[in-house]
Amino acid sequence: MPDSTLTVLIAEDGAADRLLLARIVSKQGYAVLTAENGEQAVALFAEQRPQVVLLDALMPVMDGFEAARRIKALAGETLVPIIFLTSLSEEEALVRCLEAGGDDFLAKPYSPVILGAKIKAMDRLRRLHATVLEQRDQITRHHHHLLNEQRVAKAVFDKVAHAGCLSAPNIRYLQSPYALFNGDLLLAAFTPSGDMHVLLGDFTGHGLPAAVGAMPLAEVFYGMTAKGYGLAETLREMNAKLKRILPVDMFCCAVLLNLSFQRRVVEVWNGGMPDGYLLSVDGREPLALVSRHLPLGVLAPERFDDSTQVLPLGLGERLFLLSDGVVDTSDDQDQLFGVERLRQVLVDNRQPGLLFEEVLHALDAFRGRSRDDVSLVEIRMVEPEALSPPPLIYSDSGQSAPLDWSLQFEFRAQTLKRFNPLPYLLQLLQEVHGLRAQSGALHSVLSELYSNALEHGVLGLDSALKRDAAGFAEYYRQRSERLQALGEGCIRVGLRVEPQGLGGRLIIEVDDSGKGFNVTKVLARPLIEQGLSGRGLNLIRRLSRHAEWTDQGRRACVEFTWDALA
Amino acid sequence: MAVETVVSQDGKKLTIKVKGRFDFGKHQEFREAYERKPVRPDSVVVDLKEATYLDSSALGMLLMLRDHVGGEESEVQVVNTSSDVRKILAISNFDKLFDIS
Amino acid sequence: MTDNHIDRKVLSDLQEVMDDGYLHLLEIFLDDSEKRLSQLHEAKNATELGHAAHSFKGSSSNMGALVLAELCRQLEERVKQQPLYGIEDLINQIDREYVLVRQLYSDEHQRVLIG
Repeated sequence: MPDSTLTVLIAEDGAADRLLLARIVSKQGYAVLTAENGEQAVALFAEQRPQVVLLDALMPVMDGFEAARRIKALAGETLVPIIFLTSLSEEEALVRCLEAGGDDFLAKPYSPVILGAKIKAMDRLRRLHATVLEQRDQITRHHHHLLNEQRVAKAVFDKVAHAGCLSAPNIRYLQSPYALFNGDLLLAAFTPSGDMHVLLGDFTGHGLPAAVGAMPLAEVFYGMTAKGYGLAETLREMNAKLKRILPVDMFCCAVLLNLSFQRRVVEVWNGGMPDGYLLSVDGREPLALVSRHLPLGVLAPERFDDSTQVLPLGLGERLFLLSDGVVDTSDDQDQLFGVERLRQVLVDNRQPGLLFEEVLHALDAFRGRSRDDVSLVEIRMVEPEALSPPPLIYSDSGQSAPLDWSLQFEFRAQTLKRFNPLPYLLQLLQEVHGLRAQSGALHSVLSELYSNALEHGVLGLDSALKRDAAGFAEYYRQRSERLQALGEGCIRVGLRVEPQGLGGRLIIEVDDSGKGFNVTKVLARPLIEQGLSGRGLNLIRRLSRHAEWTDQGRRACVEFTWDALA
Repeated sequence: MAVETVVSQDGKKLTIKVKGRFDFGKHQEFREAYERKPVRPDSVVVDLKEATYLDSSALGMLLMLRDHVGGEESEVQVVNTSSDVRKILAISNFDKLFDIS
Repeated sequence: MTDNHIDRKVLSDLQEVMDDGYLHLLEIFLDDSEKRLSQLHEAKNATELGHAAHSFKGSSSNMGALVLAELCRQLEERVKQQPLYGIEDLINQIDREYVLVRQLYSDEHQRVLIG
């Protein structure tokens, strides 16, 4: 800024001194305003707003000190440097000048050189201050923009996330309101057959970049879960989506669970999250659910590993998941809370309802202060009747429902390896309005029939293996192995819908190319055994109108009926 | 300098040393270590001997490096890892993508 | 003798700074000084006297009238202590000194006007 735009106000009661000063200052290229006393000086300042002020300390009417105070008050936030003109020598007097708001002194007799230097220095200070204020205002504006953007992002995300079932009675969770912007994600939803999918995730990064990945992920999760897709397919889709849309250095660590309340098992996939824990009811050591996979969004689809771990989960047993904030908490000596301390808390816990409190308390005690950015989730295995999945919402009126048709699919080996036909079949059957009230049962039955046909029929797996955790692991290992090696085999699915009285009926026929089994023998087994490890035959019977097995167990025929719709 | 690079005589092997905290603050320097090199190196080694800490943004940076030198076709080694650093790499299963020692 | 009472260097600096305003400055100073002297004589108490002395000290030092400035400084100091001794005497000295420098400044004014 050129010096000539700077205006200096000179307040000095001696006429000759005033004249002299005015000349010195204007000779240096500044514009000059003059006043004879403090009152005039304040009035001139208010009117003209000069940038620098020279004030004589002792003036009639209003002295320099009072004038300085008033001028500083008028200036407000802006810095208007005030140079006191004085021949006061006592320390006390000089201190008075500074306390009144003076920024510097000039002694009499006036030296033009020194005055010029001081004005320049004060001008530099003034401009620096103005820059700081401007930058501060800019920063404040940007900050408000950012806050607003985050508010909008959160509002949009909450709409996407509302489809979940985090409020189910068997789930307990703790999440900070800013979880989204820390990259923390917690999703839960029922499948059509009443199973529950849960996802606890942690995106790299903070702020909007972390939040932005959460939305497409949540949409895939909810969309596919609602349609009846399994964990593996949902994982593949989520990974592919993130890989496609996120930059190379961004990814999402996640742990996913699929709980089946009918079969009392849980399927687990952990990619990059800290260990989850399976907590028993009888005091056994907590079982760690270790991360075995790369996080979502890192691997290309063809390299993605969707294999899951399947474990039995008895009534009352719980799964405990947490974000990395827990184990990473450090104290003043930079020591980490660590896995051991956490395990100790889990082992020491006597009342399940107090687990969260005990974990948080242990963290607080360790760290000396609390954390508000830790996510904890606990899911309990309960009776299926304890839960009430919300009914599926349909958007059509039912006038054009297909009521009299049949079709048959045949899935051969190569297809069986990589394709799950259930979501498509279920989608199709949802067109039949009469069946909608039994959607849950229908999905459960179809899943059970298909998995029986595939695992026991075509792959020849022995359900007796599924007695304990080790057995489960072996069973699913064999399943994966045999499916990969499958060369021959097929499953046929036939669906027939026909009107019956005022309502209708659905007949499902599933054939497999396996060796069959002794139907009577299996049906005679005690229920518990059947539920966990058997073919769930009684379950199928219970959920449908009629079920029977023919052709030595290779063909299952199940019937659903419905009455006239209201 | 918190990030040092050493290039072999023939320009085929690039060693990147990271000192101190390997976190988002090193983003710029780390990128510059491997971008704009006249010869695309055949092998890259990330030396973490003096690295005290590793977080998820460091994992992201390693992914970017791997992508830059050929993705699936590349072989990036991460060496001299402390037990803490190895633990972090293990949880994310990065040993499936990098040769870690 | 005139060099004791007025610092010639100061005058020449003033002339350089003021340019064609130098004459005006001299006039203003003399005019202002008359007022200051009246203030000194008319002061009703120690505080007023002290202020008047302080101001006169300032302006005379700016103009290079060293002895005058010094006398004013002495007066300023003296009025801070009770009882007020020798005040009359000091004021008289200031009067006399002023008469002297007034002549010198007039001469200076003349010098510049002609030359």
